[in-house]
Amino acid sequence: MNPRLLRAALAHWRQARTLTLLTVFGVALGVASVVCIQTLNQGALAAFGGGMKAVSGDADLTVLGHGPDLDENLYPTVLAHPDVTAAWPLVRAWGRLAGHEDAYIEIVGVDVFAPVRFPVRLGDAGHATGDVTRFADLLHVPGWVALTPAYAEELGLAAGDTFTVAVADRLVTLEVGALVDFQRAAPLASRKLALMDISQAQHLFGHRGRVQQFDVQVRPGVAPEAVAAGLQERLGPGAQVLTPAQREQNAAGLLAAFRLNLTALSLISVLVGVFLIFSAVHASLVRRRREFGLLRSLGASRRQVLGLILLETAVLGLAGTALGLPLGYAAALLNMETVSATLTSIYLLSEIEQMHLPPLLVAVAVVVGLGGALLGALLPALDIARRDPVVLLGAAGLPERLSRLAPRLALVGVGVAAAVMVWYLGGGRAYKVSGFVLAFFLMVVLPLWTPLLLRETVGRIPPGGFGWRLGLRGLASRLQSTSFAVAALAVTVSMLVGITLLIGSFRATLDTWIGQTLVADIYVTGASWQRDLGQTWLADDTVDLLVEFDGVAAADLQRRLETRTDQGRRVRVVAFERRGDAQRRKISRVPLLAGDAETVERRLLAESVALISEPLARQAGLDVGDTLRLRGPHGTTPLAVVGIGYDYASENGVVFVSRATLEGMFGPGGVAAVALTMAPGRDPGAVMDALRVALDGRAVELRSNQRLRAEVMDIFDQTFAVTRILQAMALVIAVCGVSLTLLIMGRERATELALYRCIGATRGQLFRLGLSEGAGLGVLGLALGLAGGAVLAMILILLINRDWFGWTIRFALPTADLVWQGVWILGGAVAAAVYPALRASRTPATELTREDLL
Amino acid sequence: MTGPILQFEAVDRAFPLAGDRRRHVLRGVDFSLDRGTSLAMVGRSGSGKSTLLHLAAGIDQPTAGTVLLDGVRLNDLPDTERSLLRRDRVGLVFQFFHLLPHLSMLENVCLPGWVAGDSATATRARARELLDRVDLADRADDLAGKLSGGEMQRVALCRALLRRPPLLLADEPTGNLDEKAGRQVMDLLLRLSSDEGAGLLYVTHSREQAALADRVLRLRDGRLESAQS
Repeated sequence: MNPRLLRAALAHWRQARTLTLLTVFGVALGVASVVCIQTLNQGALAAFGGGMKAVSGDADLTVLGHGPDLDENLYPTVLAHPDVTAAWPLVRAWGRLAGHEDAYIEIVGVDVFAPVRFPVRLGDAGHATGDVTRFADLLHVPGWVALTPAYAEELGLAAGDTFTVAVADRLVTLEVGALVDFQRAAPLASRKLALMDISQAQHLFGHRGRVQQFDVQVRPGVAPEAVAAGLQERLGPGAQVLTPAQREQNAAGLLAAFRLNLTALSLISVLVGVFLIFSAVHASLVRRRREFGLLRSLGASRRQVLGLILLETAVLGLAGTALGLPLGYAAALLNMETVSATLTSIYLLSEIEQMHLPPLLVAVAVVVGLGGALLGALLPALDIARRDPVVLLGAAGLPERLSRLAPRLALVGVGVAAAVMVWYLGGGRAYKVSGFVLAFFLMVVLPLWTPLLLRETVGRIPPGGFGWRLGLRGLASRLQSTSFAVAALAVTVSMLVGITLLIGSFRATLDTWIGQTLVADIYVTGASWQRDLGQTWLADDTVDLLVEFDGVAAADLQRRLETRTDQGRRVRVVAFERRGDAQRRKISRVPLLAGDAETVERRLLAESVALISEPLARQAGLDVGDTLRLRGPHGTTPLAVVGIGYDYASENGVVFVSRATLEGMFGPGGVAAVALTMAPGRDPGAVMDALRVALDGRAVELRSNQRLRAEVMDIFDQTFAVTRILQAMALVIAVCGVSLTLLIMGRERATELALYRCIGATRGQLFRLGLSEGAGLGVLGLALGLAGGAVLAMILILLINRDWFGWTIRFALPTADLVWQGVWILGGAVAAAVYPALRASRTPATELTREDLL
Repeated sequence: MTGPILQFEAVDRAFPLAGDRRRHVLRGVDFSLDRGTSLAMVGRSGSGKSTLLHLAAGIDQPTAGTVLLDGVRLNDLPDTERSLLRRDRVGLVFQFFHLLPHLSMLENVCLPGWVAGDSATATRARARELLDRVDLADRADDLAGKLSGGEMQRVALCRALLRRPPLLLADEPTGNLDEKAGRQVMDLLLRLSSDEGAGLLYVTHSREQAALADRVLRLRDGRLESAQS
């Protein structure tokens, strides 16, 4: 390619600044949405990996329990394996910092005599300066803990300072013994990690005789996988031996659905961006047809013309990518906190504290930006390249062909829709991704139907005056430009409406569900509940005080833990026990999807059986009467499934059993949470105040029914917060598309506008006509998008949700949200029309040339 | 209203070129046109005929001199007022018809009425009446793209006359038609403008068509060189 030719071609884009800016911006936003989501996805996994590396160092294997912990007496068995050169136990606990709302610390108790090195740097208050390790202090100073310098600074702590943390309902005083920069060893490790002696940790946090894991180093030259198998055999089914890769895989699996959904959403922006590129390149090429005609007449081949067009589009694509990368990264940073909160509150994973843009992601961004731009430019470029020089050099504009092609395109759309449905019904349904396939093809079919719909609806509107109807009719006369803007907007609106319907329906379903299940008046948990999710226990005397407290009629005691099924599926096991009034109540108030309530209640109390949540039933293919096998410290326990209940607390699945059944599997244990029901006539607020006084000095959290419901809904809203930025990005791209289309239309029909001026239309009239065209594009995109959105909502709720999460979501119409979105979309379309309408209104009557009109 | 519908008094029009240079397209043009009369403007390409029509329609403004449309001085009038004056008092016919292809014949004729905000019913009735007078009433609902050149110009003529403008300006109205169609259109133009009592100013290359007007003026290098009654 001659560089001069490319420079000349790019000069056009420099002159058409608005067109260029909108095109680059469209690519940038598409790239940004992908970069944003992938950065967050990678950040989530990197945070887990970073935390693992910081805690376990270069351990080759990790031994974990089924349930919250392991018996420390397994340690000799681990060490006895001939290929294990070293092993060290770890105790882990989450503590909430007293005096800091929502500030947590993850405390890791380590065996200081274990052959593992931590990058310890002692503080300077009361300790010698320099890089030396004072094990003696670590052992004999009560509550000695090493903090990261970053977190110590954030909390305003220095070496030698003391601070208090709450673990379950215990208040523990710790002393900053050293500042340890874990991030030097593991750059992605959390700054909230803290290190202390294991025996102190066991003593202070109530883990006597228990550890969370053993990290293992194997003999050099021996495959860790082989050692893992041997160790597993020696330790029996009560423990699981995992390689670091397996642990990361487990975390990735846990987040798979969350990540896939966000990725799919971000790709919608790319699709909308491709439409925008198509419009821009098409408009640019039509405007420059004589330039290409001249090149062809001077001897340039079709391939050279095609190459030139694609090359200049590639330059725009790269410019958009360069802009989109920092934009996406900034969007990821803005959303880091909310995604992080979702990871910790729902998936029990580490917080994302820092993010990076790895080279692979930069490469993905380039592929998306460049690929999207070239894909968008390909059809118009091929169209220009294959035309004869005579046609290109001719005075008349290129004929509007889309109007003629509209029925054929619609027919292709019908064919595609039919083929996809045949595939789906004929076996495609079996694939988990089939819902995404349907959603994708919905987004393909909508644009294919758009030209015909426009032609046959607005194209038949009698104008009747110089107003919006004439504007709409004009839109139908330039399908080559307008149908892409309408299609892009329709795809975006479909996504907006589909997701709004999903979220609204889900929210309404959840609201109904918590109304049925959260019926107690006061909920009591340990202070660190939000992080350890009840895997730590309240002291027995705290529980007794609560159960016997004046005004309390009944108490539901809950114990919960996380384990796996024999197929490796992570599940939450929850056991209830009712104390207090003799009124007949369900062990769990879970509304049933399958099974008889009376039978479920009776059998749960009398036998080792389970009520399982809907997601678990769907994902594991279990039904009433089947057997669920849960792993525990004593091996696998079979539990007959007596019922399936609606539950929205965990997408991985929840197993409800009696407390006796849980203790039979995991041994005796304490109570993680207590739900209190007031005696008739007692004011829950007054009882809660009295409880606060009685529980002074214990780290417990008291929540009213109303507050707990609000917290549940807050977590729900937080989970979907990141989708809003994706929706906004797609909407901005689509609105750019409206602006671009109207600018293109203004240029293409300068003659028509000049004619209006000749017959006496004022600039104000032309401006209003332009605005009404913008509104028209908005209304058309909205109407088509509403239809697409309704179908997409059904796919999301009935297929994708069921396949990936397994919940039953009842349709609800979030009217207010939809109305507001409609207002935003129409407002955006009209706002996008202001500048093009202003430009159109300045068209002089002298622009009347022979082109374009009859 | 009495007096000429259009008056040019010592009108100059020059366009700036690079540097301080200017290109004079019209120099000291003086003439007037009465209602119900016709005036043909002849001249070679580039002689300033189209510029003269633009000035007469208020699309362009003179560099010097005065243009009076129905007694209203167009010089220095704001754009909006010139647009409204054009809307109410001028009908324009172009060489290339300029019909909107996505509208029917009837809708094309109705356009000036829509722009003016006239009653839709009255506008349609008037448009049908005009199409009937040019023998196109039975095809009123056909899209404009289906017509022959002569038919398109007849529709354009109806559009220009829709609001009964006292001044009709035509820029080579037969320049894009064959001889027979051109003659038909010229006859219609003269007859209809006369019937409506409008003053007609048309630009043409054809001596034969110029001879059909009440008066003929010749433009050469921007000056009115000769005039005959």
